[in-house]
Amino acid sequence: MSDSEHLLEVNDLHVEFRLRDGIAKAINGVSFYLDERETLAILGESGSGKSVTAQAIMGILDSPPGFVTGGEVLFQGTDLEKLSPKARAKYRGPKLSMIFQDALSSLNPVFPVGWQIAEMFRVHQHMNRSDALAKAITLMEKVKIPAAKERVRAYPHQFSGGMRQRIMIAMAIALDPWLLIADEPTTALDVTVQAQIMDLLKELQEESGMGLILITHDLGVVASVADRIAVMYAGRIVESSDIRPLYANPLHPYTKGLLESVPRLDQKGQDLLAIGGLPPNLLAMPAGCPFNPRCRYAFDKCRAGEPPASEEIEPGRTAACYLAGRLEGAHA
Amino acid sequence: MGKYIIRRVLQMIPVLLGTTFLIYLLVFLLPGDPTDGRCGQRPCSPEYVASFRAEYNLDKPFIVQYLLYLGKLLHGDLGTNFYGNTVVSELAVRYPVTLKLAVMAIIIEAVVGIAAGVAAGMRKGKFVDNLITITTLVLISIPVFVIGSLAQLVLGVKWHIFPVTSTNGTFDQLILPAIVLAALNVAYAARLTRTSLVENLRADYVRTAKAKGLSALRTVGIHTLRNSLIPVITYIGASFGSLLGGAIVTERIFNVNGVGSFLFRSINTQDGVSVVGTVVVLVFVYLVVNLLVDILYGVLDPRMSRD
Ligand SMILES: Nc1ncnc2c1ncn2[C@@H]1O[C@H](COP(=O)(O)OP(=O)(O)OP(=O)(O)O)[C@@H](O)[C@H]1O
Ligand SMILES: [Mg+2]
Repeated sequence: MSDSEHLLEVNDLHVEFRLRDGIAKAINGVSFYLDERETLAILGESGSGKSVTAQAIMGILDSPPGFVTGGEVLFQGTDLEKLSPKARAKYRGPKLSMIFQDALSSLNPVFPVGWQIAEMFRVHQHMNRSDALAKAITLMEKVKIPAAKERVRAYPHQFSGGMRQRIMIAMAIALDPWLLIADEPTTALDVTVQAQIMDLLKELQEESGMGLILITHDLGVVASVADRIAVMYAGRIVESSDIRPLYANPLHPYTKGLLESVPRLDQKGQDLLAIGGLPPNLLAMPAGCPFNPRCRYAFDKCRAGEPPASEEIEPGRTAACYLAGRLEGAHA
Repeated sequence: MGKYIIRRVLQMIPVLLGTTFLIYLLVFLLPGDPTDGRCGQRPCSPEYVASFRAEYNLDKPFIVQYLLYLGKLLHGDLGTNFYGNTVVSELAVRYPVTLKLAVMAIIIEAVVGIAAGVAAGMRKGKFVDNLITITTLVLISIPVFVIGSLAQLVLGVKWHIFPVTSTNGTFDQLILPAIVLAALNVAYAARLTRTSLVENLRADYVRTAKAKGLSALRTVGIHTLRNSLIPVITYIGASFGSLLGGAIVTERIFNVNGVGSFLFRSINTQDGVSVVGTVVVLVFVYLVVNLLVDILYGVLDPRMSRD
């Protein structure tokens, strides 16, 4: 890794939720970077901390109970964590932006979609109402919503799921952000619509050169769109890698398990969940590597002390596992 | 939308027919005779009773009486009571007072209720929230006549802050009754606002608003509040409908000359014509206000709009 400035660099991020039952350490030292034009996929089971990472970068964690307790979020060299809430809010929209899984609930039900898109220009650029609405129509056309001019005054519930996600995307890219975080943007959609939305995101990225963080638990989506991938487990990145070598040779047993759990057409009826067991309870983490209770390679060292640190195994590939790169020979 | 309104208006017809019939029947079945006590200490002469009964159709069978009444109703004639006054003229004196009182109460309800609810919802679990929750609980659990009498005694009689009675129905005289009348609804409106706000603050679209870089003020003041107030405004509208029916207890405590006390007096004096006529008007007003509230709901929440 070079020392040159990345678009986004997250260093040793820690997030905890202070709950009634105790402190849930949701993010425990996450580090990664992203450059312009690049797509990073963040992959992991439900509860592994993907959304929390995204919300922490955006600065929109539910707080309380969520608190960033350490680390830096460097955006074009500026540590966003050091900014005042007001200054940070100014970054959201023109510099970094986010779309969510459920576009229906993520759009405000009582305002027309055009109004919601236009709000970006009204608030950030103090544009007048009619100019902002004209911009909204242009954006709706850009994300390929048919009859944009007629539908600008329609409400979110009057659109299909795919169209709603397009509206979310239009809103998110309205101010030409440098970075777009897409948190499972296609999970709620039909397969054919999923592909259309991914194509649209790719197209918009090629046009603007923005960096894209794509959060998903669908390995199938990742392969075709991402440049790099970060695999999360229990609030840590356990493996990060360029896309190609990851599929051929996963470094971490968890990644390996995920790859094996991808359903294949020729293996109908097989158990999709190759990794037995459940993710750890954040309030009662196991000693050692958090994955050890579910890991078929685990040995004594994995079950005690601190979790293994993330190390560079090959150029462009890191993993947090004592057996990283040696899984083939190890006893399962 | 037009079709919907027409359908709703048509639905009012059977409701109005049913209520007039029921109330007419109840008044018909009331014990006693309207001529009782009309001739001083002595019973009235049979001639007088006969002519009285003929004049008011009391000699005819019930169903004929009812149909005759309906016929008049269609012409906007609510009947003439046994004192020779038309019900229309009686209501013309009293309804403006009740309307004034209802408008004052509804303004208090909306302003205080929503403000208290927002204050509590924004500081959920904090001191202000607990204070407001307890206060509203107290208001809800005390009967209106206790609050009314206490307010009259303390604020009116002892401290002379407000007039004790409201006989003339002027603005300053109606302030205290309006507050008493609003008290219960303020409590409900505040609780509803709080619950709705707390629920909406957790909604996904609030996170989107933050992700759009909107200020906290805009996120809550425009995005969240606009959604939270839908059930509150609907509730306040519906409570306006009930307030327009007159408040018998409050009007009597403060001697307000509104439809509530008129209805009470008419029942006591067995003035059946006035009772039926008044109730018909009240039911009609209630139905119209409720239709307006339903239309308002469709306007406030586009998901509910009927087109
Ligand atoms: N507002 C919150 N309050 C309390 N705990 C939270 C909150 N948000 C997230 N968490 C906890 O943080 C952990 C990580 O959650 P996160 O939403 O990041 O998971 P995820 O990887 O996005 O999962 P999914 O695939 O289901 O979206 C979970 O254990 C979750 O319970
Ligand atoms: Mg998530």
